[in-house]
Amino acid sequence: MRQKSLIVVTVMLAALIWSAPAALAQSDCTKIVPPSPWGPNDQTGATNRVTPAVTKAAAAEIKDGKVVVMSYPLADGIPLFGTRFTKTILTATSLAPGAAFGENQLTYMEDTWLSQSHVGTHLDGMGHIGRKDCYFNQIAMGKFINQNNMTKLGLEHLKSFATRGVLIDMVKVYQAAGKFKGNAACKKPCLEKGTVITKADLEAGLKMYNVTLREGDIVIMHTGWGNLFEQYPAQNALYNSGEPGIGKEAANWLVSQKIVAVGSDSWAVEVIPGEDPKEAFIVHNILITDAGIHIIENVRTDLMAAEADQTKRATFFFSMTVPKAVGLTGNFVAIEGIR
Amino acid sequence: MESAAGTPAPPAGRRWFFAWIGLAGLLLGTCLAGPHALVAVEQERRYMVAFANLTEEPGATLEGTGFTGREVRESFVLAVRRYPIDLVFYDNHRDSRTALANAEDAVQRKVDLYIQYLDDPATNVKIGQSLRAAGIRSLAINTPVPGAPLYTLDNRAAGRIAGEALSEYGAKNWRGLPTIGVIVGNLRAQEHRIPDRVQGASEGLKRHLPALKITPLETQGNPALVGPLLAKVLATQPATKVLIAAMDDASALAAKSALESAGRLADGAVVGQGVDRSVHGGMNDRKEIDPSNRGSIVIGSVAFYLDRYGYEILPIAMRMLRSETVAPRTVTPHRLITAANVFIEYPPYDMN
Repeated sequence: MRQKSLIVVTVMLAALIWSAPAALAQSDCTKIVPPSPWGPNDQTGATNRVTPAVTKAAAAEIKDGKVVVMSYPLADGIPLFGTRFTKTILTATSLAPGAAFGENQLTYMEDTWLSQSHVGTHLDGMGHIGRKDCYFNQIAMGKFINQNNMTKLGLEHLKSFATRGVLIDMVKVYQAAGKFKGNAACKKPCLEKGTVITKADLEAGLKMYNVTLREGDIVIMHTGWGNLFEQYPAQNALYNSGEPGIGKEAANWLVSQKIVAVGSDSWAVEVIPGEDPKEAFIVHNILITDAGIHIIENVRTDLMAAEADQTKRATFFFSMTVPKAVGLTGNFVAIEGIR
Repeated sequence: MESAAGTPAPPAGRRWFFAWIGLAGLLLGTCLAGPHALVAVEQERRYMVAFANLTEEPGATLEGTGFTGREVRESFVLAVRRYPIDLVFYDNHRDSRTALANAEDAVQRKVDLYIQYLDDPATNVKIGQSLRAAGIRSLAINTPVPGAPLYTLDNRAAGRIAGEALSEYGAKNWRGLPTIGVIVGNLRAQEHRIPDRVQGASEGLKRHLPALKITPLETQGNPALVGPLLAKVLATQPATKVLIAAMDDASALAAKSALESAGRLADGAVVGQGVDRSVHGGMNDRKEIDPSNRGSIVIGSVAFYLDRYGYEILPIAMRMLRSETVAPRTVTPHRLITAANVFIEYPPYDMN
């Protein structure tokens, strides 16, 4: 009897183990996502393009050492996607009378920061966006996640972002083309939400400052929409309700330019509402899932746009730190453009 | 040696030969380039298209659904981004005189195409005549304009989809249990063609339950009446399952509340009509039809897609402008939206 039970349990366990991978990996990812150009084991994506030569060439952008801030404040009350939240809690117990340490009366404070990783100015990593359970480089992600993090495609696999940044001023492009339609809530000129930025618009923006994209560049678009972010929390609802951004054609063209990342002063970089109402964040799929190109959201662009306008130069050394956060899909970042 | 006058002109025969070669090359090139070349040529031409909306009165809903004219207009604004079309918007204010004036203005503007949305057949006849006289093609929405292609809802089909879904649910889950059908809403609203929807729902409800008794509950368009009307039915049918075909989403949600109030959630199943934001919502809205709202007795709602009219109608307009063949009647592809497909049909994209 006992032996029979043992056999039953063994058979059940074997069946469970045998069926587990099939249950987790439901899709044939080779049919859904293209392979990485950097090989079957690649988990890095487009930062593979940031070679020493690329960084060295980018360093030539530093002419006078001027640093331009390209991040928004990270604070409670900024606009957040969907159910995301932030909450900071200051621990300052040692400021209480008698709580200081030692004869030197040392006191300290620290913070608890409760938040999702994709808040404020932030980087979308390779594990952020997929098709079904298929992610960058045909990785069947169902097999590589646990309760806490991913075991593939985490931020720890990324290389440097020390490369050339290229600002494309879409506001100026639209103004110059006589097709600018702003939004009255923006205190500085901004493109209206739903404006589809095309390949031709990007090319016009590059031509405006006589820039040709190079492999390994990071493209930053100034749409002006970020002005609503700056007004947080007053314009959060409007900021969240849509945005100007690139459409599919422009995204595919950027992929062909072999860049590392695309950023914008908006919360998704791509046009919202999208070109096809039945597609969800399709540009994210095109850039991240299919091409391993990062998206950087909520980038502060107005200062660099003003700088470019003043100096007639739209390129800069792109300085951004990304923590080696193991198994994370993205993280908030600090960006500076150095000139 | 060449003369001072330059290269001597070829004889006339040779000139014709080169001309023909050039023409043939041009044609061959166009054929090889395929539709892209043709599109490229067409994209150079922009068209002016007028869209005269039924009404954009704030809060006024259309076609017996929860959609407003503003949502219809917005769908045109978004969809036109794909096309070389400049839209001119008019609001017919559900008024014959205004509609005639709008059409007259469009004639003066010499628009390339007029999209007419007015539920007044007689006025549409007059507008059709005036547009034809001006050589302007037209496209009608939901109410015909003589001679113009029609894009229209199919209320009977939509009703049938809802009825069949309920019937299937009842047959599958409540086999052998006493079950009744209820059709609730603005049932006699002919102007919204609700009677067609009711007929379709009745047909659908009987699909898998041919002996089902159906009780109509008339709310005259007031969802607040759903509760009291349904409460009476529930009180007289204490041990009966109820399949509720609501003729709009507001009535569907009200029916769910009524069942909840009566403590009879386990005895009901509801399908609505429309799929407006009150049931599918945005990222942070409370949503009835949502994959995370498991076990809701609101099984789903039948999509009317008024918020996609621009995306559905402008491709037809574009074909007309390109002088391509257009079907005389195009019907909204109604389908049942449930928690299983709502994110595919309506991907939540906004952050709010």
